[in-house]
Amino acid sequence: MRRAGRIFLVAFMFAIAAIFLAPVALMAFTSFKPESEVLNPASAIPKVWTLSNYLHILGWVEEAPFGRWLLNSFFVSTSVTVLVVGISSMAAYGITRLKAPGGNAFLGVVVASMMIPAQLFLVPLYLMLSKFHWLDTPLALIVPATAGGWGVFMLSQFMRAVPEAIEEAAIIDGCSTGEVFFNVTLPLCAPSMATLGVFTFIGSWNDFLGPLVFMDSVRNYTLPVGIALYQTSYYTEYGLTLATSVMATLPLILVFLAFQRQIVESMASTGLKD
Amino acid sequence: MTYLQERKLTGWLYLAPFVVAFTTFVIVPIGVSLWLSVMRFDLTSRESVSFVGLQNFQDALKDDYFWQAMKATLWFAVLMIPSMLILALSLALGMHAMNRGRNVVRAMLFLPGMFNVAVAGILWQWFYNGEFGLFNFWLKGAGLAPQPWLSDRGFAMPSIVLMSLWWSVGGTSVVILAALQQIPKQIFEAATLDGAAYFPLLSKITLPLLRPVLMFVVVTNTIGAFQVFGQPFLLTRGGPELSTRGVVQYIYETAFNNYRMGYGAAMSWLLFLVIALFALVQYRFLRRGHQ
Repeated sequence: MRRAGRIFLVAFMFAIAAIFLAPVALMAFTSFKPESEVLNPASAIPKVWTLSNYLHILGWVEEAPFGRWLLNSFFVSTSVTVLVVGISSMAAYGITRLKAPGGNAFLGVVVASMMIPAQLFLVPLYLMLSKFHWLDTPLALIVPATAGGWGVFMLSQFMRAVPEAIEEAAIIDGCSTGEVFFNVTLPLCAPSMATLGVFTFIGSWNDFLGPLVFMDSVRNYTLPVGIALYQTSYYTEYGLTLATSVMATLPLILVFLAFQRQIVESMASTGLKD
Repeated sequence: MTYLQERKLTGWLYLAPFVVAFTTFVIVPIGVSLWLSVMRFDLTSRESVSFVGLQNFQDALKDDYFWQAMKATLWFAVLMIPSMLILALSLALGMHAMNRGRNVVRAMLFLPGMFNVAVAGILWQWFYNGEFGLFNFWLKGAGLAPQPWLSDRGFAMPSIVLMSLWWSVGGTSVVILAALQQIPKQIFEAATLDGAAYFPLLSKITLPLLRPVLMFVVVTNTIGAFQVFGQPFLLTRGGPELSTRGVVQYIYETAFNNYRMGYGAAMSWLLFLVIALFALVQYRFLRRGHQ
């Protein structure tokens, strides 16, 4: 592509991205407005900046242990992400590379199971988790999450898109399947694994129904659920609502930005990608 | 044991952790819900747990509300799936061709998807609000008539689709971009050296290499569209006149507001059949393109 074309493309993509970002920026700005100014759409940027919405939330310490919820969320989402990426990449390797007999048919069953509305699982899962005595513990949020088919389906399709030639060369050189998996396949699939990791983390962080149904004690809630429950009591105070939303999402954004650097670095280290 | 037999066995060894989790937390609950779907199981009246055979399914097929919900779901899917795919693929190709600033653009596009659906819903309710909403404020400012974004039968569903695109198109385009970045660069370089122009390169090399990942994107987006719940539930509660109440919302209300577990399970299985049918057609279509 010619140089002028490249510059135009970059400018055009930034313009589109700005449209996507505008509602987010508006939300962040509005959370710093005093209540009297909140619903005035004439000025996006606050005339008077105030931290009162945030101070109000942090003042809850007694009935809403913000720090504790934050810790719960990090613990649950990190555990789920590590387990899902590990288990899914192993399974995808077994299906697409080791060609486990019946593996593709099994993947078909897994994908079909994703077509059943998740709400359907809620009652049976509750009964099972109570049998295991896992209710009101992080296990209830972590272990069942590893059974989702999304990760296996995604990584299988990504592995199919990577030519097998490099792995075949490694096998001819005498590598065992385990060595090929860790030293060749996983580095080759790093971008897709990082992408799956980001999606899994976000999905787990934002899971609403699970913590709501499986957790009893307030101190065991995850951050978005804990915050949302306190949000309902002042639903009409819009600035406060947006401030809580920002606080529930901000840690997630920081994690994504850290992950994004990881994606770029892992690609550079394989020496195969741009 | 021969090498090949050993390799096959190793395949299932790698699959084992997932198989255990899947059996325990998916297959077993599926069994329970199949059992529920042939039972009359109303939590409001304890004594009435009884086997009713296919009665729940027959009831659903005669239930006008069920068909209305199915129609709303189909309308959402028809509007959502093609616009989602075209937009996400274009954005991914655009990002892939960028020689600078790609990571910033990716982060900006991806950001909306990080808000949980409740937050996104609250935000867009304000944008769409008829009296003090942002969009009508702009329209009035430009000298145009304000629009009934969420309060009109014709407007409500497209408005929900618009919000859904904003919320989720970035995620899909990030998946496609990851697939594009996984294609070894040498392939593009070789084709460019041979003098291939952008669009022939796209249709002859890039898209065929992307096919497995596009298949994933199409199937998961179809499933997502047919199971739409959060966005209409938060923006319109299914209104006006139930025109945006999808099947999952109806199932949710049946099972968790009216506690009719058996009937809810049966409707879930009917929805499953519709989704499976659509996914199968798409799968065949994409496979045929392969040969």
